[in-house]
Amino acid sequence: MSAVTAELAVVLTFSVLTALAAIFLRDVLNAIIAFAAFSFGIAVAWLLLAAPDVALTEAAVGAGITTVLFLVTIAKTVRPSGERLFEPIEWRSVAVVVVLAGTLLTTVRSLPAVGSPTSPVATSRITEYYLENAYPETGVENVVTAVLAAYRGFDTLGEATVVIAAGLAVLLVLRQEAYV
Amino acid sequence: MIDLLATHYNYLVYVALVGIGLYGVTASSNLVTKIIGLNVFQVGIFLFFVTSGYIQGGSPPVVHGHGAETFVSPLPHVLILTAIVVGVSLTAVALALVVRIYNAYGTLDEEAIREVQLND
Repeated sequence: MSAVTAELAVVLTFSVLTALAAIFLRDVLNAIIAFAAFSFGIAVAWLLLAAPDVALTEAAVGAGITTVLFLVTIAKTVRPSGERLFEPIEWRSVAVVVVLAGTLLTTVRSLPAVGSPTSPVATSRITEYYLENAYPETGVENVVTAVLAAYRGFDTLGEATVVIAAGLAVLLVLRQEAYV
Repeated sequence: MIDLLATHYNYLVYVALVGIGLYGVTASSNLVTKIIGLNVFQVGIFLFFVTSGYIQGGSPPVVHGHGAETFVSPLPHVLILTAIVVGVSLTAVALALVVRIYNAYGTLDEEAIREVQLND
């Protein structure tokens, strides 16, 4: 029996198609809409992969905030458009992509099957430790939250630092603009 | 090959997304499309991580003090949550730079920007 369910296969195929559309559509507004659809499809895939926390973040941040950032950017700049709907294929880039994808594909066969209960991550001591001890030690039922906020709290502090640094960088870069 | 499709489909999609992302970054001459490519590439890596922690029939890692069920591994989820937030910060800075580049050169086309630089 296969671990890749029909729903997951449909959602992932949808994501690949929307990703292709986002890259090949000539009009940037169309590309941004395709990218938002892509993020939404991936958020559903996270849900099917039993990762509701990641799904919520992806839907809010990937499909939400990132799309708004892109839309604000094209509102402040230009929207190239022409008669063509799609960009022509750039064969030199295709060659580079084929090399990278070919290299990665040779490793796929060695990976454990999707959803295998004997995969190294699933049987790892760290995974077992968190699942067994997160609730007794932190009192948080959601292990993802327990790891994020308690065990790896300094990591999350680093993440907050990155967000502040990014916010400062955006303000500095746009300093001379009227809207800052 | 059909067998590989059925058991490793997520990993094939991860390779496809990384490839599409790299194509977007290298082939597109529009700077905004390049950043979209960067995001697609990143999501490909996320898919690899989240799939690696997935167990068929596993529940989301929300325990209720009694452990008889199978749970998926929480650790890749945590790493990817951090990576998503860092990714959006990166996108925000990149798009701010794009707005500045547009104000300085009046175009978002890579070739046109290079021409303006050569003429200066």
